[in-house]
Amino acid sequence: MAQIPNLDNAPLNLTAIREQSQKELIHILKHVRGKKCLVIDPKLGDSLSLIIQTSSLKEHGAELRHLSAEPVQTDCTKVVYLVRAQLKLMRFICSSIHNDVSNGLQREYYVYFVPRRTVVCEKVLEEEKVHHMVTIGEYPLYVVPLDEDVLSFELDLSYKECEVDGDTSSLWHIAKAIHKLEFSFGVIPNVRAKGRASVRVADILNRMQAEEPVNSSDMAVPEINTVILLDREVDMVTPLCSQLTYEGLLDEFLHINNGSVELDASIMGLQQEGKKTKVPLNSSDKLLKEIRDLNFEVVVQILRQKATSMKQDYTDMTTTTQTVSDLKDFVKKLNSLPEITRHINLAQHLSTFTSKPSFLGQLDMEHTIIEAQSYDICFDYIEELIHKQEPLTTVLRLLILFSITNSGLPKKQFDYFRRELLHSYGFEHIATLNNLEKAGLFKKQDSKSNWLTIKRTLQLVVEDVDTANPSDIAYVFSGYAPLSIRLVQHAIRSGWRPVEETLKLLPGPHLETRRGGFSNSPSFDTLSGVSTSIAKVPDGRRALVLVVFVGGVTFAEISALRFLSSQESMAYDLIIATTKIVNGQTLLETFMEKLG
Amino acid sequence: MANVSVAAEWQLLYNRYYRKPELYPMRWRHVDLARNKLAAAPFGGPLAVIRDDSKIVQLHAESALRKLRLFSSSGQPLADTVWRHPGGRLIGMSWTDDHTLICVVQDGTIYRYDVHAHLIEPNLSLGKECFESNVADCAFWGNGVVCITEANQLFCIADFKNPESVKLADPGILEPPRCMAVIEPQYTISGNVEVLLSVGEGEEDAAVLAVEEDGVQRLGVEMLRGPLQKMVVSRDGKWLASFTHDGKLLVTTSDLTEIIIERECESALPPEQLAWCGMDAVLLYWDDMLLMMGPDGEPVSYLYDEPIFLIPECDGVRILSNTSMEFLQRVPDSTVSIFTIGSTSPAALLYDALDHFDRRSAKADENLRLIRSSLPEAVEASVDAAGHEFDVSRQRTLLRAASYGQAFCSNFQRDRIQEMCKILRVLNSVRSPEIGIPLSIQQYKLLTPYVLIGRLINAHQHLLALRISEYLGMNQEVVIMHWACAKITASLAIPDATLLDILLDKLKLCKGISYAAVAAHADKNGRRKLAALLVEHEPRSSKQVPLLLSIGEEDIALIKATECGDTDLVYLVLFHIWQKRQPLEFFGTIQARALARELFVTYARCYKHEFLKDFFLSTGQLQDVAFLLWKESWALGKNPMASKGSPLHGPRIKLIEKAQNLFAETKEHTFESKAAEEHAKLLRIQHELEVTTKQAIFVDSSISDTIRTCIVLGNHRAATKVKTEFKVSEKRWYWLKVFALATIKDWVALEKFSKEKKPPIGYRPFVEACIEANEKGEAIKYIPKLADPRERAESYARIGMAKEAADAASQAKDGELLGRLKLTFSQNAAASSIFDTLRDRLSFPGAS
Repeated sequence: MAQIPNLDNAPLNLTAIREQSQKELIHILKHVRGKKCLVIDPKLGDSLSLIIQTSSLKEHGAELRHLSAEPVQTDCTKVVYLVRAQLKLMRFICSSIHNDVSNGLQREYYVYFVPRRTVVCEKVLEEEKVHHMVTIGEYPLYVVPLDEDVLSFELDLSYKECEVDGDTSSLWHIAKAIHKLEFSFGVIPNVRAKGRASVRVADILNRMQAEEPVNSSDMAVPEINTVILLDREVDMVTPLCSQLTYEGLLDEFLHINNGSVELDASIMGLQQEGKKTKVPLNSSDKLLKEIRDLNFEVVVQILRQKATSMKQDYTDMTTTTQTVSDLKDFVKKLNSLPEITRHINLAQHLSTFTSKPSFLGQLDMEHTIIEAQSYDICFDYIEELIHKQEPLTTVLRLLILFSITNSGLPKKQFDYFRRELLHSYGFEHIATLNNLEKAGLFKKQDSKSNWLTIKRTLQLVVEDVDTANPSDIAYVFSGYAPLSIRLVQHAIRSGWRPVEETLKLLPGPHLETRRGGFSNSPSFDTLSGVSTSIAKVPDGRRALVLVVFVGGVTFAEISALRFLSSQESMAYDLIIATTKIVNGQTLLETFMEKLG
Repeated sequence: MANVSVAAEWQLLYNRYYRKPELYPMRWRHVDLARNKLAAAPFGGPLAVIRDDSKIVQLHAESALRKLRLFSSSGQPLADTVWRHPGGRLIGMSWTDDHTLICVVQDGTIYRYDVHAHLIEPNLSLGKECFESNVADCAFWGNGVVCITEANQLFCIADFKNPESVKLADPGILEPPRCMAVIEPQYTISGNVEVLLSVGEGEEDAAVLAVEEDGVQRLGVEMLRGPLQKMVVSRDGKWLASFTHDGKLLVTTSDLTEIIIERECESALPPEQLAWCGMDAVLLYWDDMLLMMGPDGEPVSYLYDEPIFLIPECDGVRILSNTSMEFLQRVPDSTVSIFTIGSTSPAALLYDALDHFDRRSAKADENLRLIRSSLPEAVEASVDAAGHEFDVSRQRTLLRAASYGQAFCSNFQRDRIQEMCKILRVLNSVRSPEIGIPLSIQQYKLLTPYVLIGRLINAHQHLLALRISEYLGMNQEVVIMHWACAKITASLAIPDATLLDILLDKLKLCKGISYAAVAAHADKNGRRKLAALLVEHEPRSSKQVPLLLSIGEEDIALIKATECGDTDLVYLVLFHIWQKRQPLEFFGTIQARALARELFVTYARCYKHEFLKDFFLSTGQLQDVAFLLWKESWALGKNPMASKGSPLHGPRIKLIEKAQNLFAETKEHTFESKAAEEHAKLLRIQHELEVTTKQAIFVDSSISDTIRTCIVLGNHRAATKVKTEFKVSEKRWYWLKVFALATIKDWVALEKFSKEKKPPIGYRPFVEACIEANEKGEAIKYIPKLADPRERAESYARIGMAKEAADAASQAKDGELLGRLKLTFSQNAAASSIFDTLRDRLSFPGAS
C-alpha cells in the first residue's frame, strides 16, 4: 500500500525536497557496488518509508535488515549501516562487527550517518576498535515531509535531550534544516520565537546565515514570509490533554506512526484473522482530508450522513429507471465507498474507547484541572488512580498537568505522590521522576501559579463550543483552546508586542526580528510591534508562515492551525514543522527511564 | 605588400605550410646547450639546466661545483641551487604536470625541486634493486617515470602524487636496449604504462618489446629488418616514429602492425633528437641540421650553427638554441587563406580592403562588394588568424580587419571579436619576456585558464594571476589564498601585527575566503600568534574550531564551539582536551561550561561509567553518583551470576545502601535517600518471602505488587507485615486488598473484609471490583452502601438495572445524568421510557 504522501497541493515545493532525499539515498546505494545488506535503525526506517518505497531500495541490490542488538545475518559481503548519529546505536554496530570478526567473516562495512557523521559516534567506533574497518559516509536527511503542510525533523528525543540531558544537538539540527529550506525558498525575513530552545534555534540560524549565506539576491521574493518558533516547554498543557479531533483520537488510541496506523485486520472488515493491517492516513485520502481536523462527535455524524445518502442513492438506483448520466454519477460516488467504509470502521473502533467511563472520567478531570478551581478533587482523583495502579502514563499525564497548572505541588504533596508512585509502580521509576523534575514537568512548587491569569488573558477556556460549526480553535478540545496555538494566532495577527505581558508569564525568553538584507526594506519602519504588513506573493497566492514546534506537536494542534488557516480573515498559508508528532503518551515515554 | 613578406617566411612541406617565428631572444647568458643537460616543460613551461656530467667539458671562469639553474622559456633566470647530491650521475631530468622538477640519479634516488629550486622533501627512491644495480636510462611522461637498470630491469613510478615504485615484468634481455619509449597509461588498453624497448642485432632477432606490469610482448618481428635506433611515440599514443638501422624514418602504429610512412634519410647515423611536430610531421636533428619530414614530398631542412633542443608541444615544436626560442608550427588554415601569395579568398580581400581603407582608397569599397555574401566567413577567418598570431601588431591588424568587416555584416556573432581580444590580452600578458610563458592559443585552450593561473601563482606571479582571474571573471580565492600563504612564508622578519594588517588588506578582497586555511599555514610556519590573530577573522566555526585546537588554543576553541551551537564541534574540543589534560584539570575545564559538561556526561553515561563517577565526585555532585550506583544495582540484579546463591542480594543491597548514604549527604535529597532505604528494605523482605514461599516471584516487584501477591497467595500475615513495614496508607491498602481478593474470586473474604470496619474510602472499590469481575450478585451487595446517589445510579446502570439506576438518579436530581443513562439504555425501549418520564418530572421543578 502506498504510504508515501502525495505532496502535489503543498504550498511549498516539498516534492523537490523529497526527491532530493530519494536521490541521495539511491546515490549511496549505487556508490556501494553490487549486492549489499542495508541495515537501518528501525526508527529511521519508519521515516524513510515516507521518502522512498522499499522496492526501489531492493532494486539497487539492497537486502534490508533492521539494526538491533542481534548480529546481522546475511550472505552479503558488504554491509551498509544507515543509522541516526546516536550513541546507543553504535553499540549495536560494534557488537555486530565484532561478532563477524570472531566468526572469521570478512566483510566490507559502511556506516552512513543521518544526517551527518559526528565526532562522538566515531569516537565510540574508535574505542571499540572498529573505526578502521568501516567506511564512513553521510546521508543528509534533515527533514521529512509528512503531509502537504507538515514537515518533521524526526527528532523524537529532542525535548527530553534538551531539558533533561542538556544536550542541544537537536537545536543545531533544526536550525540546519530551516537553513536548508532557505537555500531552496529564500531567506525568511521575519522570525518570532518563544522559549529558550526556540530563541537558540533562531540564534544558530542567524549564525548559519552569516557563515554560509543564502544568496538572497538570487530570489526576488522569499517564499516563506515568517517563521514562528515555539518551544514545547512553553505549553506542556496541551499535549497532555486528550485530543478530541478525529486524527488526534486515532493517534491517542491507535498511535499513528509516520502517517499510518496499524491495527487488526478484522477491525477493518478484512477476512484475515489475527493479521495486522496498515492504514495510511494522509491528504491523499480525500475523505480523511475532509474530516481529520473535525471534532470526533461531528465526524460520526458526517459519516452517518454519507452512509445514509449512499444507501438512499442505492435504493433509488434499484427502484426507478435511470438515465446513463445518473448511472455515471452513481458509479463515481461508489468510488468513494472504500474510503467511507474505511473511516466508518475506524470510527466505530474509536467509539469503543471513547464510550468507556474511564475515558469520560479522564476528560472530565482534564477540564477540571485546566479550570484550576478544585484542587482537592483533582488531588483525590489522581491519588486514587495511583492506588488502583492504573497505567503509569495515564497517571503521569494528569499528574504533570496538575503540577504545571499549579506551578508545581507543595513539597509535602510532591513527596507524597512520589512515594505513592514508587510504592505502587516500583523504585525503578525514581529515574523517570528525576527526569520529570529536571524538566520542570513534575516538581516542587517554587512560586505562585499564574495559570489562572494565562488562562484568562489568552481565553483558553471557551464556553459553549459548537463543535459542528466552530468559530474558535477551542473546538479541538471541546472547550479548551490550545495555548500554543493561541500564541501562534497572536504571533501571526500582531506579533509579540500586544501579548508581551502574558509571554513573560510563560517559560523562556521571546524574540522578534527581521533578518538579512530585509532590515533595510521600507516596511521595516512600519514594523515596530504591530507589523504583518502582509507581504503578498505577486502571483496571488497567500504568503507563507512556517510554524516550528521545538519539542513536538500534536495532531489536535495541527488541526487547530489548519482551522486558523482556513479562516477568511487569515492572510497566510501555514506550514508546520516539528521535531516529531507527539501525543501525551509518546511525549511522556521519552522521559520514562527504567533503571531496571 | 605586407602579405608577401608574411608568406615569404613560410616553408612548404608537401601541401602544407610551416612557419617558425622567433618567440624570444634568450635572456640568459653563458648557457651552452652542448655542455648541459636540459629539461623543458611543455605549454611554455620553465627550463632546467645543469652541466652534463656525462660529458667532458672545459670549465671556463666558473666553479667546479655544478649548479642547477631554472629559467623561464624566455631565458629569464628564476632560481638556482648548487647540486651536491650523492648517488652518482644524473640520468634523467623532467618536469611533471604541476611543475615539479624530477631528477633521477644513478642509484635510483629521485630528487624533486619546485620552480623556486627548493628541494622538496622527502627524496624518493626507486627501490633497493635500482640502488644495487644502478639506473641506466629513464623515460618520462606527464606525471610518471620508467627507469631501466644496468641489469635490464624496469621500474616505474606511475604518479608522483602517489610515489610508489613498481617493478615491471622482466623483459628477459641480456644487452641493454638500443632505445626506449613509453606509451602513457591513458592510451593503453590496460590503463598501465607500456614501455617500448628496441632490442636485437640483426634481421632475425630485431623486435620491439612492449613491457607492462604483468607481461612482455614482442612486437614488429615481421616488419623489422634490423633494430630501431631511436623511437618516439606521438602525443596521442597511436603512432610510433622511429629511425631504423639502415637510415630510414619509419612511422608505424604504436603496436607495430602497420607501416604508415617509410622514407630514406641520407644518413646511416641515428639523429640526436627525434620529435613529432604536431600530428603530421616528424623532426630529426643531427649535429647542424634539422630535417622536417611529412607524409610525402620533399623534406624541409633548416641549418643551425649552434646546438638546439626540441620541445614538443601539442600543436608544434619549440626549438631552443643558445640564443633564441622559436616555435615551429603548421600555419593555420585561416592564416594561409589571408596571407598566401595571390590569395583571393574573402578573408584576404577583407584584409586588403582594410589596407585600402587605411590609405583612404576607394578600392576598399570595391573589395567589400566583391565579398559581400561571404563576409561573415571572412571576419571569422580574420579573428581566427589573429588568435594564432604571436606578433602583437599583426594581431591588431587582423582584428581591425575583422571589426571593419563586421561593420558591414549583420549576422555575425558580435562577441566573437570581443572574446578573442580577451584571450589575446591574456596570452600577450603571459608571453611577455618577463613572464615568459609562450602559449599558443591552442595550448591555452587545452591547458585551461584555471591551470594557467595555478602555474602563475606557483611561479609567484600573484599580481598577474589576480588580474587575469579578475579579467576572466574567475574566483580569485585561490590566488589570494596562495599569495597570503607565500607572503607568510617569505615574511619571517615582519612582526605579527604588521603582517596581519598586510594580509587582511588583501584577504578582504575575496568574500568567503578561508581565514582558517591561511591561519593554518601561519601556524605551520611557526607563527602561532599570527595564526591566532587570523583565525579570529574566520566566520565559519567548523573551520575555526579545529584550527584553534591545532594551535593549542583549547579554551577559546571551547568557547567558540559552544557559541555556535554545533554540538559536534563541542565534542571535538572535548575529546581533544580530554586526551591532553589530566583528569582533574579536564573536569575543571568542562565543569565551567554547561554545554560541554552535559555532553560529556551524556557520552560518559553510555561508555565511561567509572570515569563519570570520578567526575561527579570531583565536582561534589554526590547525588549523581548515588543515582549511578542505584542504577548499577539493577544491572547487578539482572546478572544471574551475581543474584543467585545465598549471599545473593548482598552486593546489590550494599550498592543501594551506598547510594542511600550519598543521597543523605545533601539536604535536598532526603526523599531519594529515604526511597533508597526503603528499596533496600523491600529487597530484603522480598528475598525472605521467596525463601519462605519457595517461589521466585517477589524480587523487583513494587511494594503494592508484593502486597497483592501475598494476598493472592493467601499469606495475609505477610501482606500485613509489608503494609506496616512501609506504612502503607489505609486507602491504598483497601484498594489493593479488594482487587487482590477479587482476582482470586474470594467473595466470602471480600465480604468479610468489607465488614471489618467501615472502609475508609467507602464501598466504591468493592463495587468496582465486583463489576469488573462481572459478578452482579456480589456488586448488588455493596451498591446500596454507596453514599453518593449519582455513583449508585451509575453503578446500577453498569450492571443493567435500569429501574434502580433511575431511582437513584432521581434522588440525585440530576437531569444531565438521566440523559446520559438513557443513552446507555437506548437499546431497551422500556428502560429509556422510564428515564424520559423521570426527566420530565425533574425539569418541572427546575423550570418553575
